Amino acid sequence: MDPVVYNIPASMIGAYRGRTVIVRSHDPAEVVGALSAEELTSVAYVQVLSVRSELEPLMHWGQGIPVDLVVQDRKVDLPLLYQCAPLLDRHAVRVTIPVVPGFSKVVKLAVALNFAVKLEVSQPAPPLLDELSQVAHSYLHQATVAQPIEYFHSLFLAFYRGDPVTLWSIQEEDPLHVRYLTDEGKETLSRRFAESDLKGDVTTFVTRFTESLLAEKAECSSCEVLAHCSGYFKWPNREYRCDGVKTLFRTLKSAAEELRGDLAAFTSDGQEERS
Amino acid sequence: MGDHFSLILLPTLACNAECDYCFETRTDCRLSLDQISELVRKVMDHLDRNRITSFSIYWQGGEVMTLPPRWFEESFEIIQKIADENNKEVSHFLQSNMIAYGTQWNRVLAEMFRNSVGTSMDFPNLHRKLKSGGTSEYDRVWTRNIREARDAGIEVGVIAIPNEQTLDWGVERFYSHFVDDLGIRDFQINTPFPGGSLNAVKKGFPLDPHRLTRFFADLATIWFERGFEKGVTIGPLSKLVDYFLHGNKDFACIWRNNCVNDFVCIDPGGHVAQCDCWVTSYPEWRFGNVFAADSLTDLLRKSPARRSLQSRPGVLVQREDCLECDYLGICHGGCPVRAFTVHADVFRKDPYCELYRNLFQTAREMAVERPPGLDSTEGIGVH
Repeated sequence: MDPVVYNIPASMIGAYRGRTVIVRSHDPAEVVGALSAEELTSVAYVQVLSVRSELEPLMHWGQGIPVDLVVQDRKVDLPLLYQCAPLLDRHAVRVTIPVVPGFSKVVKLAVALNFAVKLEVSQPAPPLLDELSQVAHSYLHQATVAQPIEYFHSLFLAFYRGDPVTLWSIQEEDPLHVRYLTDEGKETLSRRFAESDLKGDVTTFVTRFTESLLAEKAECSSCEVLAHCSGYFKWPNREYRCDGVKTLFRTLKSAAEELRGDLAAFTSDGQEERS
Repeated sequence: MGDHFSLILLPTLACNAECDYCFETRTDCRLSLDQISELVRKVMDHLDRNRITSFSIYWQGGEVMTLPPRWFEESFEIIQKIADENNKEVSHFLQSNMIAYGTQWNRVLAEMFRNSVGTSMDFPNLHRKLKSGGTSEYDRVWTRNIREARDAGIEVGVIAIPNEQTLDWGVERFYSHFVDDLGIRDFQINTPFPGGSLNAVKKGFPLDPHRLTRFFADLATIWFERGFEKGVTIGPLSKLVDYFLHGNKDFACIWRNNCVNDFVCIDPGGHVAQCDCWVTSYPEWRFGNVFAADSLTDLLRKSPARRSLQSRPGVLVQREDCLECDYLGICHGGCPVRAFTVHADVFRKDPYCELYRNLFQTAREMAVERPPGLDSTEGIGVH
């Protein structure tokens, strides 16, 4: 079976029968109408491109099918998250939030409502790095935050377990695992690449891109987090300085090491070892 | 509402007490058995339309025990029959002032309510009065009846509402009265609010948050020292500590993300609203009438009042400081009826905000400090 998951518009379901798909639409009713009961088994999740849409069709449909709600305008969409909360009764729900000024407020409400979060991040400028740092701190340390906030969560686990996972994979942009079909049917990495010319085979893009960065002997070549980043933050502008994002990596790595140390300090019967 | 639907059902608004802070406008109206049947069939239709398989009925009044036990036995049979026909599970819970309790209620309490009842009493009792007597007579009858009920094997949970004198007298006397003297092992403290028609007592609400905060902090200390390991539960402290230890968000209605998603209330006239205070005292906030509507689902969906309440937490995160609060995820702006009765504006946060924040902080610190035994769920109100 094809190991790749295809993110497709609901209108393309017929063409992707038999493959694992992420079905996206602005209108949940379109998704519900397009998928037969048999086809649900091949749905990785449903992506709703606007929280302003009428969610009622999903409330009593597809028990257990995960749903990804995409925030478009943080100010307009923020209060609407409350109306999305009943979806959690039947679905695992993630909210995808673009990292734009003020995004942390949406993150805060989303996790308060028990939604998982995915941050859609590209090349954050300094004020956004501050905001990202605040969100990372609350993800790591706030007692009332119990949901994963990606990419922090998977990266934290990767540091904790020593897994060789990359940001491309965490952000569902690794073409070896996920492909995005534009509304026009063009195959690419994700929606932020929809208008880009990747010059060549999509499946090898990340490898080619990383190799080209290393060949330049620029920032990536001596970077401590290259194994987990693979040049993720160098797209689209290769001149982007990564100091801020590297600080975030270090914060997550340090927290993972601290947790590992704390757990190691406990004996197998749960008692803290005292020297 | 998920896979469960909760209904607060007021089968009567008649009452045998005359409490100063009651928020209900009382009438002699009561539900007939035929109306119970019609109402439950409409609830079943609502459950079917929303693919819900189970529901709970919280029986409240008025005072439910002004109806005869036989009426409850017959209602129970009717409801169970309809639930069975529709392949639904139904659970019943009872809230009574216990003033009319006698052994004649034991069978209903056992069969319908699994030998459990919730009641209310304050310490000191300044405001709960019998219709034909004062507070001391109320105390005497209530105390006698809950002792008899407990002797009959009935579990009695108590809701207490603090007053100024409660705060003056302090926690030691409060705790000793309920736990040591009366043997209550499960009680909850609710905050008073000026619902319904205003009077001199209600003008004193909300109570001073600083004094209430001190009271709850002291209560938490005593509970940890004397009650926790013996299995005494105190709402909301027990569940808050449980949340900070284990992540269980099993809170009272005031701290759900939106109570509109969790339950509705129906009075004996068939009026549907968010809860007992709304349905009895604020007709303009009713969602409709279940007997006049073809479908409860449509009634709820089309109600402007319900839509307004539904939008409240979303409005609060824009207008109030809720989004800045560390405890947004366990409060969501608190109770709409408390906000409305204090501020005459449903789109304000709960007037007890400051108390809640301090309470959350206290519970969080208690969970972090973890006194002996707190690692287990035993004794912290996990039901």
